[in-house]
Amino acid sequence: MKILTGVAALMLVSALFAGPALAHKVHLFAYVDGGTIYTESYFPDGSKVENGTVRVYDSEEALLLEGTTDPGGLFRFPIPKVDDLTIVIDAGMGHKNRFHLKKTEVEAGK
Amino acid sequence: MRRGSSILFTAAAALMLLLAPPASAHFGAVIPSDDIVTQDDAKTLNIEIQFLHPLEQHLMEMAKPKQFGVMHNDQKTDLLATLQEAKAKGHGPTEELTFWTAEYPIRRPGDYTFFIEPTPYWEPAEDLYIVHYTKVCVNALGLEEGWDQPVGLETEILPMARPYGLWTGNLFTGQVLLKGKPVPNAEVEIEYLNASPGNISVVVAPADPYVTQVVKADANGVFSYAMPKAGWWGFSALNEADWTIDHEGEKKNVEIGAVFWVHTRDMK
Repeated sequence: MKILTGVAALMLVSALFAGPALAHKVHLFAYVDGGTIYTESYFPDGSKVENGTVRVYDSEEALLLEGTTDPGGLFRFPIPKVDDLTIVIDAGMGHKNRFHLKKTEVEAGK
Repeated sequence: MRRGSSILFTAAAALMLLLAPPASAHFGAVIPSDDIVTQDDAKTLNIEIQFLHPLEQHLMEMAKPKQFGVMHNDQKTDLLATLQEAKAKGHGPTEELTFWTAEYPIRRPGDYTFFIEPTPYWEPAEDLYIVHYTKVCVNALGLEEGWDQPVGLETEILPMARPYGLWTGNLFTGQVLLKGKPVPNAEVEIEYLNASPGNISVVVAPADPYVTQVVKADANGVFSYAMPKAGWWGFSALNEADWTIDHEGEKKNVEIGAVFWVHTRDMK
């Protein structure tokens, strides 16, 4: 019984610390159009990230805003700042990735 | 006597060389500057479109293609107007040969399958026209969707192995389609593109059969080939069209090829 508990605890610990499975690597893609930044979050096989947390940082790494993806993996917001932006998708369970949106792209999409 | 036979031998060899069919195969080629576009890469692809002998690096004159497009997210976009004419040195000192280039900006994630339908090429040596429907697939921004969809060309190779992210030595598997239907026992010719970017050791074939590899598809038109070197590999399945083209008042047969290009990288 003790051994089983130990094994279960070990499995829990390794599950918590395991890196993201590559086969399920999450991606975020963003583009700017008409003053709005559109983001799409997806896995390589095309399935969408639902209820993922999107965080937007400026070039000083200050958090500008945060939001949640819809069932289509989408989240959009008005341009918060004309700057080099880093947009992070956190799909939970260690599935995390970032997308860099250049200041020139933000400027062009105003 | 000895001298005589040696001259005879030389003459016979020269004659054989003249009469022998070319050892190398013709290939349509659509080669993009990148096959996997990540967010830190240049988002504009430079695409070269040629008609050539890939291993022997012989280019042929190429008229402007009839069709050039891309399929992304199940949608086809006509890119014919983006083609630019380019010239390369030919065999003689003054000969110039035409090929085509295009720039394409990647804007969205997913797979991009570029395809051409060339203008029929008259090959007097084989007394026929050649039309190679040629495709290549570029992956963008981590979304691996679209590569297994047919474009709907008269004949095409449908990848059955994801056609990017391939290591040297991997098998490439594809299915030969003619009018959308598998071609049982189709013959597939394979050549290495010696002009592949990054190829530091040009391959010299030790004998003719090494130039063009040949495999036959199974009853479902499915073939496989393991690629032994890093760079671009062309796969070409040839069939005879059920239509002809007039050449100086005579009906001539048309060889239609389904060509697909994939890129491999050394595992290191």
